[in-house]
This record gives sequence, structure tokens and C-alpha cells, in this order.
Amino acid sequence: MSVADPISSNSVESKPPVVVWTQIDASNAKVALNGVVNVYSLGGIWTQIQASQNAWLQQNTNQTLTFDASRVSFFDGAGVAFLIAIEEAQQKAGGKFELVGLDPRYQPLLKEFDPINNLFPVPAVKPKRSFVVSTGMAAQNLINDTKGLVSFTGQLSADLYWSLRNPGQVRWGDFVNTAVEAGIAALPIVGLVSFLIGVILSFQAAIGMAQFGAVSFVGPLAALGIVREMGPLITAILLAGRSSAAFAAEIGTMTVNSEVDALVSGGLSPMRFLVVPRVLAGILVAPILTLFADIVSVVASMLTMLIYGIPFINFYNGMLAAVDVEDILSGLIKATLFGVVVSAMGCLRGMQTGTGAAAVGISATRAVVSSIVMIVVVDGIFAFISYKTGF
Amino acid sequence: MTDLTNSTYAVDVQNLTVGYGSNVLMQNLNFTVNNGEIFVILGGSGCGKSSLLKNLFGLYQPLGGDVLIEGQNITTALGADRQKIMTSFGVMYQQGALFGSMNLLDNVTLFMEEYTELSQAQMDLLARCKLDLVGLLPYESYMPSEISGGMQKRAAIARAMALDPKILFLDEPSAGLDPITSADLDSTILDLSKNLGITFVIVSHELASIYAIADKVIMLDKGAKGIIAEGDPKVLRDTSKDPRVHQFFNRIMSKDAA
Repeated sequence: MSVADPISSNSVESKPPVVVWTQIDASNAKVALNGVVNVYSLGGIWTQIQASQNAWLQQNTNQTLTFDASRVSFFDGAGVAFLIAIEEAQQKAGGKFELVGLDPRYQPLLKEFDPINNLFPVPAVKPKRSFVVSTGMAAQNLINDTKGLVSFTGQLSADLYWSLRNPGQVRWGDFVNTAVEAGIAALPIVGLVSFLIGVILSFQAAIGMAQFGAVSFVGPLAALGIVREMGPLITAILLAGRSSAAFAAEIGTMTVNSEVDALVSGGLSPMRFLVVPRVLAGILVAPILTLFADIVSVVASMLTMLIYGIPFINFYNGMLAAVDVEDILSGLIKATLFGVVVSAMGCLRGMQTGTGAAAVGISATRAVVSSIVMIVVVDGIFAFISYKTGF
Repeated sequence: MTDLTNSTYAVDVQNLTVGYGSNVLMQNLNFTVNNGEIFVILGGSGCGKSSLLKNLFGLYQPLGGDVLIEGQNITTALGADRQKIMTSFGVMYQQGALFGSMNLLDNVTLFMEEYTELSQAQMDLLARCKLDLVGLLPYESYMPSEISGGMQKRAAIARAMALDPKILFLDEPSAGLDPITSADLDSTILDLSKNLGITFVIVSHELASIYAIADKVIMLDKGAKGIIAEGDPKVLRDTSKDPRVHQFFNRIMSKDAA
């Protein structure tokens, strides 16, 4: 019969079990089990015996199954479960079950599970949600989420104002650590990505512009795009991926471990203690990283245009004509708002963490997604304002 | 149950040195756990009980010496041999360490899915039997976060028993439980030991529980970096001349003993 995997012989050195199904007549059958019965060796046997039993049970009523365990050399919890499964099938079909020859030392094992019916719960039918109900619930979730966002924004504004009034009470140690982690540690990746974007942007533009003999306009165009849009956007998206997720995971783990509860019960505000230093760090590092990204990108663009025969000085003069301080400032102000949004979304999702390890992962994911959505929203609003005001 | 195994001892510890890097917690430990025995490791907080336990079941590599599980050396075994030893015992961690994303039933069936050829329905029935043994049958579809700490510990024992191991290692099963839950857990352990012949190696410092279940104890001491007492806990309580052992078993405060 079935031989289970090599682990089956684990500490119990003996032959694989042998099971024999004998149908005596229409209403009497016998199962004889022989050898070691454990969770490994039952592998194929269990299914086989159940199949024989079910086929037999369908032939008649009031059938008696005799289970002969007199030649079982080893028996454990898995064996008991096997017996119970066979017995339950008999009961359900209205038949009888007789167990003979099981070593008395195993008898107490069987008594542990009396009555066996409890082990076969009626599977709960999950009520199917109608389309209307699930739509309503989705809407409700959206409303709750928006409410959470609005009240968080209000609370955060109040606490940021508080931090201006009471700068001595802000946890500047946390602020510095976060700023280093989110800012200085992010320099290499921000530099790499913005360099590549600068190169790619200029190349793509140059290919098109070359057809009109307007390659010399690529420099000013790229520089303007970089300082107004690409620099802030690249930085914000990298911040969302690095720091927003980190904030959500960190605060989320603290929520799971009841550390946030400990702050509240100790009379401390998690907003002031955890969120304010992180948001302030976001406000500090986002414009600085953006400025860095702007410079690296423009230099990359300059180097690229050199290939097209545009000397540095021409690029520089063209750029001065197209880009003024207002453009740079506009980009940096936008970057600051991105910094607030990205760090605040990370903290909010962290605070909303449920229970368990999976919840932290969900929070980190939600933080990145929400941050990027909010970046797009803020960018859109900003574009509208600058279109209307000309700033 | 002599036919269960052909090795003399369930666990055989030889010249074991436990520690982390240069920080040696225990030196040259020698002790044996008999088959079917309830063996308790006790000692004050921070003396290295849990670290010793993790060395016994191979989670940490000892600084020196050997641990034999049913005659197999777990400190040197590699690959398939090691996996074979690892499946011969079950472990309950101090905090339960249930998988938070699975309900109790799935927590128990997880290891069966990996190691056996049973069908889902068969594994579910087996898992229900295990949960029934620890009194958690009605909670099979609960998530670990929805049940109390004591229930999590019992569920962790059910999970440790998934593959019907011969040895169960329990790390502080009764710490943080109320006396009634703790007593229930003790009787579960006694039942499992008596009916299934499971060998228990338990880290504990709950005196009431130790008197109720332990066949044999070893007492560890931080200063001595080793075993300072070994034997039946009640005998040790009544006869030990060692002041540290006397103090532990009779719950005398340090300043009174001094």
C-alpha cells in the first residue's frame, strides 16, 4: 500500500502499515490495520479506505463496519482522527461501527474526543453580499477614510501651529534622526534618478527638436521642466517610496505593540510625539532634496547637450533667459507641500494600522499609494493656481 | 512504550556550552531527559533558560558540546537529516508565535500541508482533534489576534502537536496566565504525557505548575553558569541544603535570605 515520505520512519523504525478492506457481505465489512499508524503513513491509506467505505455504504442500509486494530504496532493522534473519520461516516449513514483489538493503552486517546460529532461542524454558509450592499459599504469606507483624513489634517495643522508656539517641546532628536534618514541617506538615489531623468529628457527632446533645427532650445526647455515639475515630482515620489513607507511601518509596528497606546495612557499625544517631528523633517528635507535633484538634472542635461554640440555657455545663457527665480521658488514651494503630504500620509497610515504582522505591510503599502495619489492631487491644484496667477 | 523509539533518551545533552559570542551563559551542561518524562528547566529570570531551550531544539548553534534528540545529534546534522530531526519535535514559543494572518485551524494544518499527503478535509479533522485537546475547538475560525494570551499559548501547543511529535518543547507555558487557566494547561500537559506518551521539556518558573507536573527538574544559576540542582522538585524543596535552591522553592525574598 501507500508508502509515505521518508520522514515517516521518523524515530519509529518499522514497516509501513498495511490496510486490508474486506467486504464480508452487503451489510458487513471489515478493515484490518497493521503496522505503524501516524500522520505520515496515513497519507494514501486514509483516502483509499474512505473511498471503499463510501462506495460500500451506498449499497445498503444498517451496515456494520468492524475495525480490527489488533495488529497495530504504533498508533497516535493521527490514527485516532482516522478512526473518528471512519466512525463518523458510519454514523451519518445510519450504520454501526465496531472497534476491536486496539491496545488498551490507546483507549484513553479515543475518550478524549467523545462525542465525536463536535469535530464535524456544519460548514457555515457565508451570506453573499448583494451589489447594493457592497457598493454601500465601499461608499461608507470612502466616507470614513475621508473623515479620518480631514480630522487628521485638522489635528496636524493644530499641532504644527503648537510646535511653532512651543518649539522647546518638539522632540528635536527624533526630528534630526528622521531628517538624516529621509534626507542625507536619500541623496544617492535622488541623485541617480534625477541624473538619468535629466539625460533622458534632453535626449528625447533633442531627437524631436533636431528635425526643426531647434536643438539649441532643448536646454532652456529641459531646465524649465526640471525646476518647475520634474525635480519636485521625482523627489516626492522617491520620498513616498522610502520615507512614507518607513514612517507607516515604524508607527504601525508601534501601534501593533501597543507602544502608541502607552503614549496615550501616559498622557502624551502621539501626534505631537510621533507625527510632528516626522512632518517637520519632511518639510525640511523635501525642498533641499529637490534643489539637489534640480542641480543634478540640469547638469545631466548640460552634459547631454554637449553631445549635440551645444557648449556649456550657450546652454547656460539659454537657461538664464528661460528660467527665473520665480520658477525655482515655485518648484521648491511645491516640493515643501509634497514633503508635508508624503510624511503626513505615512504617519496617518501608520496610526491606522490594525493588528498583526500583515497589518504593518498593508499600512506601508497604503502609505505609498496614498502619498502618490496626494502628490498628484497637490500637483494638479498647484498647476491650476499657477495657471490662474501666472506664478 | 519501548517500541516507540530505540534510543535511550529523548534528549541527551553532552558538555553543552550556551551563550552569545563571548558572553557565556552556561558551561559544560550535562543532563538527559527520559522518554515520556515531563522535564522542567527552571531558574531565575535572565539566567539563560530560554537560550538553553533554543540550543536544545537546534534554533541556535551552541558554543560547544552536543545535543542528541532521540539519539540523533542535532548540532552537527545538516540538510535532510536535520529536517528529519526537526520534525520529530514540536515547539511552543513564549508568546505563542502563531501566524497572525491565518486562523487557528490553518495555523495547525500548515505543517501538515508541507509534510504529509493527507487531503484538506483529513488535515482539518486532525487539526480539530488537536484544538479539541487544548480546549479550543469552538475557536477554530478565530484569528490569533481575536483570542486571549492564554488561548494563544494553548493554540500554539496544538500547532506544535500537528505532526504528533514525540517531544514537545514549551517555553514558559504558564507565564502570565491566571491560576485556573494555568491549572487547565497543566492538566492538558499531564493528559498528553500520559495518553500520548509525549516527552515534555518545559522552561518555567511557576512553582505551583512545577509541583503539579514535573517528573524531574534541573535548576540553573546565573552565577554558577550551570546546573545547581537536579531531581524531583518536591524532594529538592524539602531536602536541598543549597541556599539558592532553598530560596527559590520556598519563595524567600533575597533580603530575608541574606
